Amino acid sequence: MLMNTFQELTDAVEKGNRKEAARLTQVLLDAGTAPLEIVESALVPAMSNVGEKFKNNQVFVPEMLIAARAMKEAMAIIQPLLTAAGIVPKYTAVIGTVQGDLHDIGKNLVAMMLKGANFNVIDVGINVPPEKFIAAARENNAQLVGLSALLTTTMPAMKTIVDAMRAAGLNNVKIMIGGAPITQQFANEIGADGYSPDAASAVDLAHKLVAA
Amino acid sequence: MNRSYYLDLAASGLRMPIGTHLVLHEHADHEAIMLDGLRLGTVVEEAARRFRSPMAIPVMDLKLEKESLLLSHGVAAEQIDSFHFTEAPAKDWAVDSTPRMAATCEAIRQVARNGEFVPVGMGIGPFSLMTKLVSDPITPVFLAGTGANGDEEPEVKLVERALELAMNAILPYLQAQITAGAKAIILCEPAANKVYFSPNQLSESYEIFERYVMEPNRRIKALLEAGGVDLIFHDCGELEDEMVRRFATLDPAMMSLGSSRLLWEDAALMPKTTVLYGNLPTKKFYSDALVSVADVKRLADALNQKMCATGHPFILGSECDVLSVPGSEETIKAKVEAFLA
Repeated sequence: MLMNTFQELTDAVEKGNRKEAARLTQVLLDAGTAPLEIVESALVPAMSNVGEKFKNNQVFVPEMLIAARAMKEAMAIIQPLLTAAGIVPKYTAVIGTVQGDLHDIGKNLVAMMLKGANFNVIDVGINVPPEKFIAAARENNAQLVGLSALLTTTMPAMKTIVDAMRAAGLNNVKIMIGGAPITQQFANEIGADGYSPDAASAVDLAHKLVAA
Repeated sequence: MNRSYYLDLAASGLRMPIGTHLVLHEHADHEAIMLDGLRLGTVVEEAARRFRSPMAIPVMDLKLEKESLLLSHGVAAEQIDSFHFTEAPAKDWAVDSTPRMAATCEAIRQVARNGEFVPVGMGIGPFSLMTKLVSDPITPVFLAGTGANGDEEPEVKLVERALELAMNAILPYLQAQITAGAKAIILCEPAANKVYFSPNQLSESYEIFERYVMEPNRRIKALLEAGGVDLIFHDCGELEDEMVRRFATLDPAMMSLGSSRLLWEDAALMPKTTVLYGNLPTKKFYSDALVSVADVKRLADALNQKMCATGHPFILGSECDVLSVPGSEETIKAKVEAFLA
């Protein structure tokens, strides 16, 4: 019976049905399901499925956002319970759009997908200078920093941030980059640890980098 | 202008970039120039002369209208870039021109006065401006596409109000450029694309695309027509064929599309009275590894040949404003020169 509810919750999130997602989350909690189990057995798989479909061009950015909205609705119920139980995500990622660049769709999508993969995500926003990335990484003991840039004119800011982070001694923090003009070659050139061509692939890359 | 002007340019084999940003950024005080209409006009003319373009094209600065709208609303200048409306403003307000807008208009006046080039204006499209006014425009657009209205979903109401506000900023600025002497307007609608509109949803209905993109742009087209000004429609986003087909119903004099489009196939989506423009991958010009000078020449030749085979009027050019990337300026210019040669 409960297995069906888990699947229904996964389906509701995938379809972006936030009211149903909230209702089914409450049903599972009322049945005594551990909050973390709901996250790991229903919500994370839902966002993972959405990510796979996105990579395969079966769904697009709007569907991803709608799914994330439904997951957020479920997490609004679950998060206080996780916090009260002292359960925190294993990994923390700081993410932002580099200085001079005001675009945030790509950054928001990656943040959303990382949250969906149960990362603790610190979104430092847009037009972010190096010192803000460094401070956020330190304050939150982040394992990962994600840099986004849409414009060719702001790509050089990525190198500035990578250099600044290394100069600040954050050598254990993995840096991944992405954005329309970015390539693996550019990532190699500036010393970033990884490049992801899309938000769904960013989750795979993030897992790979933090496990390394 | 007479539509034959553009058709003749295409027939003449014209090649030109949208490249004023490159020339502007050769000047150390480029920010100051953006506020000085006479100097800006000189730079716009210099770019046209350098790139052998008969049209003097302004910098594609798509932040001006947001700035004017929000400054007029009392938002502090330093907050403009990151400001988003969180609830729909109930009342309209008068949108005042900004110093940068005034400089752009003065530059157009200067180009018109000098008479060497056709003065062209520039503006952001209403849908694209709307996306800059709210923090998440994509979700409400999708919700509206499912039939949700503003009464049911406050986000939908916010987006629809933001679209109205966008028009309040766009129309007076376009009118000001027309009054200054612009003979054509490049209307940039890069957000009308597959990121903001789900192809899955559009496969069922284009109603939301019509309502949020096409209807506001038809109002702009009417304004331009009333002023005897031609529309150059630009969208470098990733597009569905049907989007291109609908843009073509605006009857633009020129259609400028991004490098994701196969222009020789797009030719079938629009009338032969619309010149296709573009679409070399200029966003990659900063890197020799991504695209070399030899690649540019090869791509330009191939595109010209394919377009020639369609018989559709075509001007070879850039996929967007060719931006000056710090540290890569000479690399970019070499590639622009390569496709102009």
